[in-house]
Amino acid sequence: MSNMLLEAKEVHTYYGASHILHGIDFHIRQGEGIALMGRNGMGKSTLIKSMLGIVRPRHGRVLVRGDDFTKAPTYKTAQRGIAYVPEGRGIFPNLSVRENLQMAARAGLDGRREWTFDRVMSTFPRLGERINNGGWQLSGGEQQMLTIGRALMTNPDLLILDEATEGLAPLIAMEIWRIVKEIRKTGIATVIVDKNHGAVTSICDRAMILVKGQVVFDGTSEAVRADPELIQKHLGV
Amino acid sequence: MSQSLDIIHDEHRAIAAMLSGMRSLAAGIAAGRLKPDFGLFDDMLRYIEEVPEKVHHPKENEFLFARLLPRCPEAAAVIAELEEEHRQGEARMALVRKAMAAYQQQGAAGFEGFNAALVHYIEQEWKHMNTEEKQIFPLARTHLTAEDWAAIDAAFLANDNPWQGAAGEYAALFTRIVNEAPAPVGLGGS
Repeated sequence: MSNMLLEAKEVHTYYGASHILHGIDFHIRQGEGIALMGRNGMGKSTLIKSMLGIVRPRHGRVLVRGDDFTKAPTYKTAQRGIAYVPEGRGIFPNLSVRENLQMAARAGLDGRREWTFDRVMSTFPRLGERINNGGWQLSGGEQQMLTIGRALMTNPDLLILDEATEGLAPLIAMEIWRIVKEIRKTGIATVIVDKNHGAVTSICDRAMILVKGQVVFDGTSEAVRADPELIQKHLGV
Repeated sequence: MSQSLDIIHDEHRAIAAMLSGMRSLAAGIAAGRLKPDFGLFDDMLRYIEEVPEKVHHPKENEFLFARLLPRCPEAAAVIAELEEEHRQGEARMALVRKAMAAYQQQGAAGFEGFNAALVHYIEQEWKHMNTEEKQIFPLARTHLTAEDWAAIDAAFLANDNPWQGAAGEYAALFTRIVNEAPAPVGLGGS
């Protein structure tokens, strides 16, 4: 049985007349970690949204666990064990931390419940201190922790983090990367979209770089880190 | 390709985040937005004393620089400079500690001296890490052999994840600092 979780085949996505993704191929298997990198506006988030049904590709196919999900609604993808932590968080501001987490709780696709409320609390002790606070009362870093915690409560096989540390101070960003590294060790496959190549390549084994909606590099994270010219050319500011 | 360079780079990112946090807190005090939290500054300075000064720098000296020097004599000057900076690390940190003690004693009148000592320390650390990443890393990648890398990587990996600490103590200290530092620098109340 294939262990492929999510695939994009020759995906072309447009925003109106603007051609954003130019025939992208992507795949992630169970347990893999992929750093999806590129400068602003290169199509990283659009690729994620295209695979999750948030934006519809005009051409190409999206497969979830080998099944054609090209036209499937987003909630169907979520039900197949794929959790998405969007750019800009997206917690429920009027619900407490506890309620935000509890409402997301469900068993994984195979019925397992490894990520319980208590386990999320021990992974993010800070959330424990804010348990009865409303979402709107949390700082940006706490909201990001809550969003990741909520995604884990769905017991996913694949966790997708889109710009998880965008706008956060370096200390908070480092703490979130440390926690994500711990989550990776549990075997959850992870796609991390980020501009911080140092952080994401230290967490993920594979790396992809997008430039103007096309894949210009697909290889090991180690190869990226050992190639300063590649970093400067495609990721440098 | 080397896991040890990746480890050094990761540790640099943690150190850089801590330095950046201290600079932001000092800037907040200078702007009148924050009151000094000497306990927090003490923790942050302790992190720098424990992780880079006692664990990170000796590892660079003993394993990376020691292997690179015989393979690349043209790196001698820059290695000597970096090793001297490592030797001076404790003394440079002692100046920041002294300035903080004066600030604690004198109150607001002591801030300028503390801020100047802190900013000076941070700038030296930035320059130091930059020299390692921009000059030493490329030379190491070019001149060290597979055998060298195997020995260096083995020594680094035997170090049992120093960024975490043998019993997770450095990671716990880092987390405490993040939780205590006022937002937006950390997660604490402003």
